[in-house]
Amino acid sequence: MILRNAQILFNKPMSTELYHLGLLCPDIAVSIQPGQFVMVRIRDSFDPLLRRPFAIHRLYPNDPPGSLEILYKVVGKGTRLLTTMQPGNSVNLLGPLGRGFRFPNDNGFVLLVAGGIGIAPLPYLAETLAAHKHKGPFVLWFGGKTSGDLVCVQHFKDLGFAVEIVTEDGSIGRKGLVTEHLEPWLIQQDELPKVIYSCGPYPMQRSIAEMAARLRISSQLSMEALMGCGVGACLSCSLRCRPPQGAADPHYANVCQNGPVFDGEEIIWE
Amino acid sequence: MTINSPVILAVELGPLRLKNPVMVASGTFGYGQEYAALVPLENLGGVVVKGISLEPRSGNPPPRIWETCGGMLNSIGLQNVGLQTFLREKLPHLRPLQVPVIVNLFGNTVEEYGELAAGLDGHEGIDALEINISCPNVKAGGMAFGSDPKMVFQVVSAVRSRTNLPVITKLTPNVTDITLPAKAAEDAGTDILSLINTVAGMAVDPQTRRPRLGNVVGGLSGPAIKPIALRMVWQVIQASNLPVIGLGGIVSVEDALEFLIIGAKAIQVGTANFVNPQVTLDIISGLEDYLRQQGLRDINQIIGTLEVAR
Repeated sequence: MILRNAQILFNKPMSTELYHLGLLCPDIAVSIQPGQFVMVRIRDSFDPLLRRPFAIHRLYPNDPPGSLEILYKVVGKGTRLLTTMQPGNSVNLLGPLGRGFRFPNDNGFVLLVAGGIGIAPLPYLAETLAAHKHKGPFVLWFGGKTSGDLVCVQHFKDLGFAVEIVTEDGSIGRKGLVTEHLEPWLIQQDELPKVIYSCGPYPMQRSIAEMAARLRISSQLSMEALMGCGVGACLSCSLRCRPPQGAADPHYANVCQNGPVFDGEEIIWE
Repeated sequence: MTINSPVILAVELGPLRLKNPVMVASGTFGYGQEYAALVPLENLGGVVVKGISLEPRSGNPPPRIWETCGGMLNSIGLQNVGLQTFLREKLPHLRPLQVPVIVNLFGNTVEEYGELAAGLDGHEGIDALEINISCPNVKAGGMAFGSDPKMVFQVVSAVRSRTNLPVITKLTPNVTDITLPAKAAEDAGTDILSLINTVAGMAVDPQTRRPRLGNVVGGLSGPAIKPIALRMVWQVIQASNLPVIGLGGIVSVEDALEFLIIGAKAIQVGTANFVNPQVTLDIISGLEDYLRQQGLRDINQIIGTLEVAR
């Protein structure tokens, strides 16, 4: 965990709400793993007060060396301010933070599931699977409210993913929710995935975890929470989890420190 | 006085000696390990650990945090590992460090406060206790101990009678007259007063019409509360002879100086640690710079020097 200023390389709108932010930060880029995150202090003031957590979207080892990319959605004061930052400006990063995705031990079917901005941590995971010469097959199920939410689909295709699209308004792909269409599709496949990696809104994550349990597939869910510190000090980003081995009572895990990636079976859904 | 002249930052708070007046506040620095990669703990004046209770507590349902204008609401619900796990797993990491370790403690009843004090007494590596009186008294219908001077007296007496360690009483600002609980704690034998804890607050989501916090209400911290903290520290310093630790919204050396100038012997930094984990180091070096700029040698030449026109 280190604290570094990172120069902004680009800050490009992908839709009305989604932005790609490129940052030069070799010290963090060199060690950060898929699913881990950084806490960003947008400017050197106390308004907005707290840092904002962002997953690493992509890593660019050579372009220039040590650069990384964040995908963010404008949801409030902090992210609105972030849209005004220009190439050449700096932000302050704290990271790498948290426990990222664990890689599958064996080759075999890997399923990624994203809901909306939940796509954020998945390209870096997909790139890493490809770089590890994992043979797949790879499938991404990607759901959004509308077609504009579905960014970086081509990138997954370039990495060898089959991409299945679902939108709530039916503007592209299947109409409805990922969680309505995924299980009937899975059951028709020749084999079930070895592992499901999923990131998205809480109700989607819950459905994915419950489906994975029914089909006896292991699931790794990148969870979201409002965070204060990002390092396990403030105990704000709590997620109710099953008791650790030997303990009697369920406990609140810290999403920042014990996650953000949890095994689906760990979580007690509220 | 040159740029490199040595300056003295050491302060004495009754029985507690600190190498500098900058501590980290309870609940914002975990048990010391969370930020150790970024902050050499031995550079700090003191480390106040997350509040400890007799038994572990799982805390409040989420959401537990909400950012406000210049502040942060939280309702963690006093989640902590409990006395035994603290002694077994957390204290050993802190013991070898050359930094005063202050254990914040709280109970559901007066008796629990006394038991905790006894349980913490005699363990090497603990330099003082800080009593959190902002929590609800189960036997008094959940009313906060800190809001009733009689209960403050009982709680502080219970701790005082069971420990030889220096005792700090941390006051809640959620009272009409802060000097009353301050005097009650003094009468019960506390060595030091620290204030303020968080200011009671609330936020609502207009879209869902639900409270932003799982616990509905919470405590406000951060720069928004600093003027309230400064005023209350000032009032307590007028009313009490005890050394006072000032906290509440300190984010910069200027903020720290305000508290020192009105007479606080030391300060604690809380929420600002989340924003800039190295803020305490910046404040310490900023205090040295300030003394040099002022042509002074010793931080004690600043403490309690507020000029009030009569």
